[in-house]
Amino acid sequence: MTLADLLPLLVWGTLVGVDLVSLPQMMIARPIVAGTVAGAILGDIPTGLQLGVVFELLQYDILPVGAVRYPEYGPATIAAVATAHASIGVLGLGLGVLVGLVTALVGGVTINVLRRVNSRIVHNAAAALESGDPRALLRVHAGGLLRDAVRAATVTSFGLLLAWLARPLLGVVLTEQGASLLAVATIGAAIAAGAAGTLRLVGRGPNLIWFAAGLGGGLLMVAWLR
Amino acid sequence: MASVNLSLARALLRLFAVQGSYNYERLLGVGVGVAEEPLLRDLADGKYGPAVARGAHFFNAHPYLIGLAVGAAARAEHEGASPDQIERLRETLCGPLGSVGDRLVWAGWLPFLSALAMVTVALGGGWIAVAAFLVVYNIGHVALRWWALKAGWTHGTRVSIALHHPVLQKATTVLGSAMALAVGFALPITAQYLAGAFDSWTRLALAAVAVVAFLMLRLRGDRLNGLRLALGFGAVALIAGWIWP
Repeated sequence: MTLADLLPLLVWGTLVGVDLVSLPQMMIARPIVAGTVAGAILGDIPTGLQLGVVFELLQYDILPVGAVRYPEYGPATIAAVATAHASIGVLGLGLGVLVGLVTALVGGVTINVLRRVNSRIVHNAAAALESGDPRALLRVHAGGLLRDAVRAATVTSFGLLLAWLARPLLGVVLTEQGASLLAVATIGAAIAAGAAGTLRLVGRGPNLIWFAAGLGGGLLMVAWLR
Repeated sequence: MASVNLSLARALLRLFAVQGSYNYERLLGVGVGVAEEPLLRDLADGKYGPAVARGAHFFNAHPYLIGLAVGAAARAEHEGASPDQIERLRETLCGPLGSVGDRLVWAGWLPFLSALAMVTVALGGGWIAVAAFLVVYNIGHVALRWWALKAGWTHGTRVSIALHHPVLQKATTVLGSAMALAVGFALPITAQYLAGAFDSWTRLALAAVAVVAFLMLRLRGDRLNGLRLALGFGAVALIAGWIWP
């Protein structure tokens, strides 16, 4: 990752972070999209796709209903791709997922903080809002959008800082086996999260049969491809 | 007619940012008020301000279907419904709009297409699979937002007619099954794709970790989630990898 890559990644991460909740929810925040474009920015689409798929599986663990709290995997995937691109093979993969997971955790915390800040601002503006003044309404709303953009940029910057630090700090102390172990542990957990999250979504009703049929078909396909 | 269409288009554009000021006090209320405002501009002077204020009260629903509430509440304001009636209409719509939208989009359309994209990527479809996912998903996304707003505006206080539309009910059921089938199909193919980065012995270890992690998530799902588990596994692996000669 060069300095010339940094600005496009930061801009992309900010757009992705804002898309998650605020504007326009067109799903560029999905890891598979965020990762692929980050890979394209770095000239390494295969790594972007690979990490995009890992975090897409983790995304299945989340059902964003009501005011539920969840990790933010969009900017996290961008940080993961930036990390993986800087290292070779399995080491990059393991470090990338780890950096992405930490970024996702921090991103989730910032979403909660932002909502609390917004709550306070809306509470303080209650009288203006109750007066029916459209300018006050727009001001409060635009402020929320702006704060989310700042939040997304901050999370992406944090993730990219981790990506920059990961290789010199962790890459040099991990042996080849250690790097494999890290990649196996994190990717295995992501596959499990995808399966468990989907089963939660499917439930015990008639869709479970469809899930089983799909799983059987997928296993047959894997056997056929070997 | 042209001015109504212009107001609807303005409201639709604002609906894309309906969650922009998400907060724990009014949830989506402020965003709903902002989206509804263009539809209230031609109300009489004494009615406009109170209607805008009502629009920004507490509200929560699925963001793609929230146009139903925006359109219906604005229409009710135009038809001279009482403030109590409009508040009741909004309260009544919160639950069903959230429930239908969550099943239709978050648990149907989105994971269904995401699973298809993952399968296509795993089979070598590359970035085109991702681009196709974005285009197809957003055709449904934008169509749903526009339909919701138009239906809300058309039906007003009788908006439940739209919510019980047979196509909406059928789509929810069909997409739930399609999602289950597609994600079930995608899981082994995706796992195989990710395992391609490892040699054969490491692939066995990957399978073992995935099984153990899956069992942990199923048995302790009340305390564990994918992120915590992956971070925990990663931390253990990092320490083990550090001391491994």
